[in-house]
Amino acid sequence: MKRYALILALVLALAAGFGCSKKTATADPNADQGMDPALQAAVQQITDGRVLFAFDKFDIQPEYKEVLKTKAELMKQYPSIRVRIEGNCDERGTQEYNLALGERRARAAYEYMVTLGVNPSQLEMISFGKENPVVQGSGESVWSQNRRDDFRVIAQ
Amino acid sequence: MKRTFLLSVLGLCLLAAGSVHAAMRVDIYGPGQNSVNLALAAPLTGPEKEAGNMGAELQKLINENLSFLPFMRLTDPKAVLGGTVLQGYEPPNLDFKRFQLAGSDIVVTTYWPNGDRGTSPVQIRAFETNTGGRLFGKEYPRVSSKELPEVADRFCADLLEVLTGSGAFFRSTLAFVKKTGRMSSNVWLCKPTGRNLRQITRISGEALSPAWSIDGRFIVFTHIDPKSHSLGVWDRKKGSVQRVRFPGNVVIGPSFTPDNKVAVALSNGKYPVIYLLNHAFQKERVLEGGHSINVSPTFDKTGTKMAFTSSRLGGPQIFLKDLNSGATTRVSMNGGYNTEANLSPDGTLVTYSRMTEYGHRIFVQDMVTGAERQISFGPGSDEQPSFCGDSYFIAFTSSRGGSRGIYLTTRHGGDAKKVPTGGGDASFPRWGMPEGE
Repeated sequence: MKRYALILALVLALAAGFGCSKKTATADPNADQGMDPALQAAVQQITDGRVLFAFDKFDIQPEYKEVLKTKAELMKQYPSIRVRIEGNCDERGTQEYNLALGERRARAAYEYMVTLGVNPSQLEMISFGKENPVVQGSGESVWSQNRRDDFRVIAQ
Repeated sequence: MKRTFLLSVLGLCLLAAGSVHAAMRVDIYGPGQNSVNLALAAPLTGPEKEAGNMGAELQKLINENLSFLPFMRLTDPKAVLGGTVLQGYEPPNLDFKRFQLAGSDIVVTTYWPNGDRGTSPVQIRAFETNTGGRLFGKEYPRVSSKELPEVADRFCADLLEVLTGSGAFFRSTLAFVKKTGRMSSNVWLCKPTGRNLRQITRISGEALSPAWSIDGRFIVFTHIDPKSHSLGVWDRKKGSVQRVRFPGNVVIGPSFTPDNKVAVALSNGKYPVIYLLNHAFQKERVLEGGHSINVSPTFDKTGTKMAFTSSRLGGPQIFLKDLNSGATTRVSMNGGYNTEANLSPDGTLVTYSRMTEYGHRIFVQDMVTGAERQISFGPGSDEQPSFCGDSYFIAFTSSRGGSRGIYLTTRHGGDAKKVPTGGGDASFPRWGMPEGE
């Protein structure tokens, strides 16, 4: 009986551990390091809003221009923030062409944010093509989520 | 009227697509015949003495090799009246009649003059059954059991060269990538028959688009990690891998030119364009650019023609550029999404994948006649076609088996044969002919 109790305790401890690590991964890793809450909120806002694209397109739709404007304002307000824009594609295209298309998507956001006054030194880009889907599966509802720019804060 | 048609099967196959190097020497005797029937006589150590050790193993390996040739039909030994164990390995002690009756066009004999144990020479000969004429004969000296796969490959390459003018298939090594997880893959090698399978890079991140140098010393590939793209360069001589980064953080679809320089899509600050790099992997000049995506260059063996994918007309299409005149012509005329161009070494054919409502399919465009032919039909998705050095065989990636694997077909299509590459998704096959493989 003692043994079962010990195993149960271990399982609970592990589960609690996983729960914690998940929380810190999705929220701000610096939350407990006394970071300025406003900066923390800015980082969250920059990271959260994705920009989505139509199939085989890389032009920014009007609704996502608003998303980028918000990000740009925050980055101007906090010049210490540096962001990597990650261009992605859905699974339908071929890999090499999708790497190029992903680059065009990342660049489209980059150029728009620079025209809005963001210092280019605050931005970098990479394309993952179709190698890094955010949603697994097939069908337009999945594909539309994967044709995207992600915004990763790499310095704050 | 004995010889109605003095056309060979392979000659027909190859000439149909415009090849001029198809020096076929085997006669066929009936209209509509589209394959060569080949019989393997039992390996001998003496008159009617069947070799049972290395001889049997070599026979098995040759049999496996030849089964990869879609135009080759292997005669069932049970169909040979009197059996395949012969009095001798060449005329006059070779009874051609029994092979003629079994429908064989060619018979291959194997003779181990010193027995088939330890290290021994082996003599392999191929004869035309109807005339008794010798097509091929060669002694492979000092063969031990370790060398049997290599001897099988060398013999099959020699035989194929006699039959078609090129033994490139069996002299080639495929480079490809194998996935081990999300954003994790490395470069592997194997023979087109799946033998000699081994991993050559061990880098975290994703390797894509490997391509051999013409001399077989280097393989270049795209490498992606969470922060950057780089050009991976594997040096066979040193056994090392180096990574080269470029401004703009874009490296897509590298390929070697015949003079051992690399062409690769890099950023020009606006679009991915195709650059030629010098031998130090620095930008030398733009091969194809403009206000559109230009990626995936491949070259013919003269280095004067380059096939590539471009979005200049909206969706991606295949183009061919004459690098002497600078003239660019559109290759793919059908479909809205054609990518992954691969130019045959002889410069007469371009293969590429087209997106269809059922997945991607492989097509071949004949640049001489202008005719397009679909050569793969799924199921799943067929992508990343790559021509062998003989401009005849094509390797491609397909998901038809559930997971992604590498398959072989020819420029005429037909049944595709899977290359055994072990566990894990395999993709991006590219042919190379490294010496001493």
